[in-house]
Amino acid sequence: MLIRRLYQFLMIYFLGVGVLLALKYGAGLSDYVVPGPVLIWRTCMDTTARYLSDVADTLSVAVVGQVLSILLALLVGILGRQTSWFGSFIKAAAYNVQAYPIVALAPIIFILLGDGWPARLLIAAMICYFPLLLSVLGIMSEPVVDIEHFYRQTGRMRWQLEVKIRAFENIGKLTTVIAGSATLAMAGTIVAEFIAANAGIGYSIRIALYQSDLAKILVALFVIGITLSLYQGFLEWCGLRVKSAWIGQPGEPSGGES
Amino acid sequence: MNRLTLQQFLMPVWVLIFAFAAADQARAVDTVVYRLKWLKNMSTAGDLVANSLGYFERAGLSVTVKAGGPERDALRELELGHAHFGVASADQVIRARAKGAPVVVIAQLFQVNPLQWIYHMDGGAMNSPGDLENKTIGVTFGKNDEIIMRTLIAGAGIKATSVRLFSVRLDYTPFYKGQVDLWPVYINTQGIEIGEKLKRAGVAVGFFDPSDHGVRFVANSVVTSRRMMEKDSTTVRRFLGALLEGWRFAMDPDNAGRTVTVVQGFDRDSGKAVLEAQLEATRKLVRPSSDTAIGAIDVPAWLQTETIMLNHGQIDAPVKVGDILMPLSASQ
Repeated sequence: MLIRRLYQFLMIYFLGVGVLLALKYGAGLSDYVVPGPVLIWRTCMDTTARYLSDVADTLSVAVVGQVLSILLALLVGILGRQTSWFGSFIKAAAYNVQAYPIVALAPIIFILLGDGWPARLLIAAMICYFPLLLSVLGIMSEPVVDIEHFYRQTGRMRWQLEVKIRAFENIGKLTTVIAGSATLAMAGTIVAEFIAANAGIGYSIRIALYQSDLAKILVALFVIGITLSLYQGFLEWCGLRVKSAWIGQPGEPSGGES
Repeated sequence: MNRLTLQQFLMPVWVLIFAFAAADQARAVDTVVYRLKWLKNMSTAGDLVANSLGYFERAGLSVTVKAGGPERDALRELELGHAHFGVASADQVIRARAKGAPVVVIAQLFQVNPLQWIYHMDGGAMNSPGDLENKTIGVTFGKNDEIIMRTLIAGAGIKATSVRLFSVRLDYTPFYKGQVDLWPVYINTQGIEIGEKLKRAGVAVGFFDPSDHGVRFVANSVVTSRRMMEKDSTTVRRFLGALLEGWRFAMDPDNAGRTVTVVQGFDRDSGKAVLEAQLEATRKLVRPSSDTAIGAIDVPAWLQTETIMLNHGQIDAPVKVGDILMPLSASQ
């Protein structure tokens, strides 16, 4: 699973770089517009170690942000699954918060929380949270009629049991969504760092952009891609283990990967 | 007889058609794109005047003046053919040239770099780079203000550990709160706005100007591609002539009212009084003395900029600045 994730990323990355180089040599562009292979390689040698450390910093924030988002989405999803006034209020509030673009909210967040770790974490969680919430709400609002009917008729239905039944029946969807949300958490953290933080790979990309250094940006994208592929592969592996432990049989990750 | 009459009848028609065609050709307008370095504000007064008051049109050019910004790089656009002219600072030009970008400089708009550092006066005036010691200084890491400040610090013999460089953004809160002692501003735009705000709040501020201490890092300059210069030097001359006319008009104190009106059309958030103060500050940067020609290229300052970039590892080798600078007279 990990190996497949890695080589798929490498294929996409080198295809992208190949298109850029074809454009460079086709249109006779200088290294300033599109860096040549030698310059990319030299930059890679100079900056990879530093960028790895930056990406590790970003990933640490992204992971915590993702965990927070998952917890929050589960909480809101469970509360919002009800068709009551409170349920619809929770949904409306969640949707409205997400309606504001993060670039508009970021300055307020940075004024209130400063430009350190908490602000990065909050923005990462905010970007990651909404897609998770949509999935959790979708899953938790959908009754598993056959099973739930039995418990309702026998008067044994409790909200904890209802949540368990719905989560159990949709465990494949839940693990896929959680693994996918890693990308959003990482993207959210990078956006936060790009806008205003003083650390992380997003901050390094901002500096490279100020210096119009596309070679550095390409190296940063490579390091981000590799790290994210590994992290997603790890989450998918965890999802498989959870599924097989809960269902009691070895599971296959959804999406056909193995 | 009838045939002759027909020829006689058609002759004036042909003459008219050719005359209209010739006149149309003479009035033919060339369309060019001009990418600014930053947003349309007082720092671009001459550019906006040249466009709004018809200087470009009279030169037979239809110019689309596009605002710049951190993610818009005029030098890249020149090479990709998305723009014909642009504005860039010397460090951008030298960095691009070091990577083989075929760019040339045809005029230098600011003779004095507008970048300065604002500071609270309650700690006393800062008269020399030695006063920077033990201060927390705002810089934008990766941009030219970082290089300029590091040059000042090194020049004053201050140890790197004796100052704290603070990463700045467009939010001035750390400066207002006193967490940062010096904050980088463009003296003719932000310097006026923040200075006014703090003055109203009863706070005395001063400005630390690197050029007072020998650091002359060149700012906004007009650039085009070498290809444009070689293949269409006529358009280059027409464009630059009209542009500099616009700047001369804008910097003439007698035209202050019209210049402010033009700029206010693009910078609606700034009041008239602020714009007037900004115009006065801009005049000192574009034409610091009466014998300074608007648009003149300050070659020693360019050479110093290149040396500073070399010293700070921004470029690996000299880029032969002389080959990049092509003032109008040399290009004719």
